[in-house]
Amino acid sequence: MSGVLVIAESRQGSLRDVSLELIGAAREVKEQAGGRLAVAVIGAGAGEHADALGADGVDEVLVVETPNEHFEPHVHAAAVEALIDEEEPTLVLAGHTIDSLGFAPALAARRGLGFASDVTRLAWDGGPVAVRGGYGGKVDVELDFPGKETVLLLLRAGAFPAVEGSGAARSRNVEVQAEPRSEHLGFREADTGDVDITKAEFLLSIGRGIEDKDALEQFEELADKMGATLSVSRPLVDAGWVPNARQVGQSGKTVKPKVYLALGISGAVQHLAGMQTAETIIAVNTDPEAPIFTVAHYGVVADLFDVADELAEQF
Amino acid sequence: MARDPKYDILFEPIQLGPKTLKNRFYQVPHCIGAGSEKPGFQAYHRGIKAEGGWGALCTEYCSIHPESDDTMRVSARIWDDDDVRNLSVMCDRLHQFDALAGIELWYGGPHAPCMESRHNPRGPSQIPSDFEVNTHPRYMDKDDIQLVQQMYVDAAVRAREAGFDIIYVYGAHSYLPLQFLSPYYNKRTDEYGGSFENRARFWKECLEKVREAVGDDCAIASRFAVDTLYGPASIEVGEDGVRFVEHVDDLVDIWDLTVGDISEWGQNAGPSRFFEENHEKPYTGQVKEGRHTNKPVVGVGRITNPDTMVRIIQSGQFDIIGGARPSISDPFLPKKIEEGRPEDIRECIGCNQCISRWEIGGPPMICTQNATAGEEYRRGWHPEKFHPAANREKGVLVVGAGPAGMECAMVLGKRDMEAVHLVEADAEIGGCVNWISQLGHSDGNENIFRGTARGLGEWKRIVNYRQIQLDKLKNVDVHTGSRLSTQDVLEYGAEIVIIATGAHFATNGLNPATHDVIEGADASLDWQLTPDQVVKGEKSVGNRVLVLENEGYHMGVSIAQKLAGEGHDVRIITQRGDVATYMEYTLEAPMLHRDLHRLGVEIHPYTMLEKIEPGVCHAYNVWKPDHKEQFEVDSVVLCTQRLSNDELYHELRSDKEALEREGIEALYMIGDAAAPRMIPDSIFDGHRLAREIDSPNPAMPLPFIRERRLWGDVTNQDYESMLQNTPDVEPMVVAAK
Amino acid sequence: MKIVVPVKQVAVLDEEFEVLEDRPGVDPDAIEWDLNEWDNFSVEEALQLREAAGDGEVVVVSVGDDEAEEGLQACLAKGADRGVRVWDEELDAADPLAVAQVLAAAVEQESPDLVLCGVQSSDGVYSATGIALAEHLGLPHVAVVKGLEYDGGGNTATVERELEGGLVEVLRIGLPALLTIQTGINEPRYATLRAIKQAKEKPLEVKGLGDLGLDGGAVEAAAGSRVRSMSHPDTGEGAEILKGSPSEVAARIAEIVKERMSG
Repeated sequence: MSGVLVIAESRQGSLRDVSLELIGAAREVKEQAGGRLAVAVIGAGAGEHADALGADGVDEVLVVETPNEHFEPHVHAAAVEALIDEEEPTLVLAGHTIDSLGFAPALAARRGLGFASDVTRLAWDGGPVAVRGGYGGKVDVELDFPGKETVLLLLRAGAFPAVEGSGAARSRNVEVQAEPRSEHLGFREADTGDVDITKAEFLLSIGRGIEDKDALEQFEELADKMGATLSVSRPLVDAGWVPNARQVGQSGKTVKPKVYLALGISGAVQHLAGMQTAETIIAVNTDPEAPIFTVAHYGVVADLFDVADELAEQF
Repeated sequence: MARDPKYDILFEPIQLGPKTLKNRFYQVPHCIGAGSEKPGFQAYHRGIKAEGGWGALCTEYCSIHPESDDTMRVSARIWDDDDVRNLSVMCDRLHQFDALAGIELWYGGPHAPCMESRHNPRGPSQIPSDFEVNTHPRYMDKDDIQLVQQMYVDAAVRAREAGFDIIYVYGAHSYLPLQFLSPYYNKRTDEYGGSFENRARFWKECLEKVREAVGDDCAIASRFAVDTLYGPASIEVGEDGVRFVEHVDDLVDIWDLTVGDISEWGQNAGPSRFFEENHEKPYTGQVKEGRHTNKPVVGVGRITNPDTMVRIIQSGQFDIIGGARPSISDPFLPKKIEEGRPEDIRECIGCNQCISRWEIGGPPMICTQNATAGEEYRRGWHPEKFHPAANREKGVLVVGAGPAGMECAMVLGKRDMEAVHLVEADAEIGGCVNWISQLGHSDGNENIFRGTARGLGEWKRIVNYRQIQLDKLKNVDVHTGSRLSTQDVLEYGAEIVIIATGAHFATNGLNPATHDVIEGADASLDWQLTPDQVVKGEKSVGNRVLVLENEGYHMGVSIAQKLAGEGHDVRIITQRGDVATYMEYTLEAPMLHRDLHRLGVEIHPYTMLEKIEPGVCHAYNVWKPDHKEQFEVDSVVLCTQRLSNDELYHELRSDKEALEREGIEALYMIGDAAAPRMIPDSIFDGHRLAREIDSPNPAMPLPFIRERRLWGDVTNQDYESMLQNTPDVEPMVVAAK
Repeated sequence: MKIVVPVKQVAVLDEEFEVLEDRPGVDPDAIEWDLNEWDNFSVEEALQLREAAGDGEVVVVSVGDDEAEEGLQACLAKGADRGVRVWDEELDAADPLAVAQVLAAAVEQESPDLVLCGVQSSDGVYSATGIALAEHLGLPHVAVVKGLEYDGGGNTATVERELEGGLVEVLRIGLPALLTIQTGINEPRYATLRAIKQAKEKPLEVKGLGDLGLDGGAVEAAAGSRVRSMSHPDTGEGAEILKGSPSEVAARIAEIVKERMSG
């Protein structure tokens, strides 16, 4: 077994960004894994994505056209299994995505693969070493895979640097026989319905710093523009400006979005408890000692209105 | 858990003259209704806070002589050795917990009507109090000045004997020393009036004399309103305020700074409705900022957040965090910070219910957030300790998670009941607090006088605190979004059922003034509303609104304020001489009235409705009912009275067979569901039932201790020597006990 | 209709805790146990299906030590009919694939019409056990289901799969099948005091590996990974401070946001 096999992901005709992150991660360990890096793209019309996947360091793009138009977990698992049999990689990388959750664990179970999901760091020590969270993210756990000839890892989206495609790699079609066991009936945009901030992946959160109820509208608009859901810290709910459903904090909701952008929130203990495990926390506050900066990944000491006005231009 | 190092600064000791204050948590003088005549209440209330970590605890204002008597309001007194004996109990209790004891020596002058002592108060000039009715002071000549200064000295000596560590010469809220300093009170032309030095002389001399008498042993404090908020007519911080601080700085070991005068002391004890946390900073903060003092400064501003406290000290605003209401709401605030659990702090909501009871004159203090305030001695309640219930194996169902239900379930949980289920029909717990806390806003503009109508949002802390506590209790399950029918309750499987289903506003105009409904009143119509309908936005409100305010607390005026703030044309009528009379006691009245007037709300006192028709309300004057008035209206808001939601309780109670069959051994009703009342009383009701759930008859509160003198303590011999005079009455024969 | 719902008693770690020195793990005193949040939704979904069908059985199964009893009791109190707990000392370090292997043996004994798992557990957050289980059982599967309609006549289920960015895919699958259930699919009921009491009378079997025809060695081999070490997460030196004019800062924030939100 040698080399890395990356499983790219596409949906509704578009290649998903995580694919390029997987290639970036694969490149880092390619040599230790044995030198070959192949990227597979599976699905109807998969060939269209070959160029985008041909980044520097990619030796070959494997195109697996499937009869079914959309992702089907059983077909996908069979396809990847066939690729593993053909490529015999040491390491298989896919994204920790909804599609992957549908096929990867089944494949790992079927073939007794080494397996870990939601991996945030990747290293090599005679074999792959993966880091992921434990106890709900409160600890870091380092895993290895002794005795596993092939290891399948699902990498967290956004945790690894993406690469640019260059169209340089050669591509090859691969035939796979596979039977679906479910039937696609259609797609649907989600209901907006009642706000559930715990489901949002991107929260724009505002606090006392906005000072005035009239400013609320401006931030509602900004959230919309940025593709974020608006959430608030307690003072705005206390003031009656916003319903409790949008409150982040110990007596509101606990959230763990991919991005938490806090504007004018100082970060009282009760608020931090509700958001500190968010994956990326960006905080804007005029007070450099504001407690929010102890949990933020990025901090800005500035007037939130100034920053908000500029942010609106960016989206 | 350990203390977060960022709070270390709050636990650094600081020197106050000859005394060491062990940390920066200082309970400034505040009234509780105990005085010197309820020594148990006094010692146990202050003591519980010492146990909770407060470094210094002060008495309320303490009269130095019968000439300073504020009856019916309850002050402490240190007139004689028996008072020393009673107050020493407080000192002993505080010293047990390594806290310092402070006493606020007070002479009220014309602000103290002496209705009990029947003495004659003295003052710098003969102008009656703007606060009391018809109280003229006797003009103080030079001999009188010496006399009164000696009263301070004698009182200070007694205070030292009682064990007090910090002795105040109290001038704030405009009592005697400040009455001399302020030209508002002092029109004298001798060397005690006129120039700044002259006006400051009395106070300075008091401090000198008191310091000389006890200053080696005790810390000398002075409570000073650096700005009385009357403009140049009185003390302004930038003028006489900081100047006075500098003038007597050497004589003082600690400055206790406030703002405002007595007739509007709500500017100092600012309700959350109008003032935010640390609201006195622009005034009291100037003293240290301008380097006008070399002494430690303690200040207030309803400061409840530990991070605010750290900022205040680090920025040099104060050296010591003063708190009265925050200490009442959570006697264990310092301990909770120290133990690394600031999320357990029960924050003051700034409702001023505590103050209201004392203002009424007589009743003991209460607290919305802390039901044990005032009950430490007479009921033996501890805010953080709850002995396990003897019947804890009984399953409990609490129906309704409003103030009473939340509190009851929480305390039952803390008493180790094995299984408590709190079931709420709405999607969130909190009951009426959820909509009431949305009131208190008007149009968002600056008020005339320092504050804004910022709303009752802090009242939501009632829910926040209980939410956090209930989450922590493993033996309490909270279920929301579930409305239980009578059958559901019967089949629930609880042995103890507690109904806490709240109350609703009368929709037919039933009211306390006439004890009858009002013809045409019907809040099911879309142009008539109850207050909760207004807040919940269930119906639209037309332009011309009439609010009928019969209740007397804040509901009617809050609705008027909200609607006027949103641009409606609002008229509010009440059968009483004024709207919202209870708000006089919560100190919210002056700012509220300013706001109502600013918004153009028309107030019609002594007026009642006799009939409501579409488009017009028919009113009459209560003193002369044939004096009628018509109000043209688009909408009417009926704030007449509330009625309990008690159907569930009565249905259950009436079917005793079913109760027995389903194993329900006890059925109780608490809070508004039993009888509509103010929020602190609902919380108390729930708390009390939980504390006494294992008493022989939990429905009836157990007796509480009344501190009173019992006949037989004083023999005939004592009587005559106590009188210090020969009695003309025939003394009864008193056998010693 | 027989529905099997595998459930997990998850570890909830205190805010302050010690990482062990001698082996990868945390101080057990810092752990509290609770039923996995997702399992409330899968159990509720099973109960609703049973109610709609008019009859049937809902069986909850868990791989766990004594701590798992409480979670199973809670499920029985909500209305599940029967519980099975599987435990053996060997299972202490079992990862999701090993657990799936064990669950498969237990679930197979039940011959279910439908198996509902939670999408993930709140402590491990692998999102793998359910689908790995499906593979062992040979059942068709769908992961991350946020809507479910059962057609008794055709013995199929129409399900909604929750995708990134709020998109939903609708698909149909034939029973027997395994679905992993997402939170929010329904409103979980709660148990009254009576139901909690009555749950204690419901059957709750405890089985060891031997009862399932498994041995420790096979289970160990089924594991997909090994824990090498455990540590406190790198908190770094606090926030990276972004400097510059508001427009520069805003541009940088926008960059970070777009980067994180992709994939």
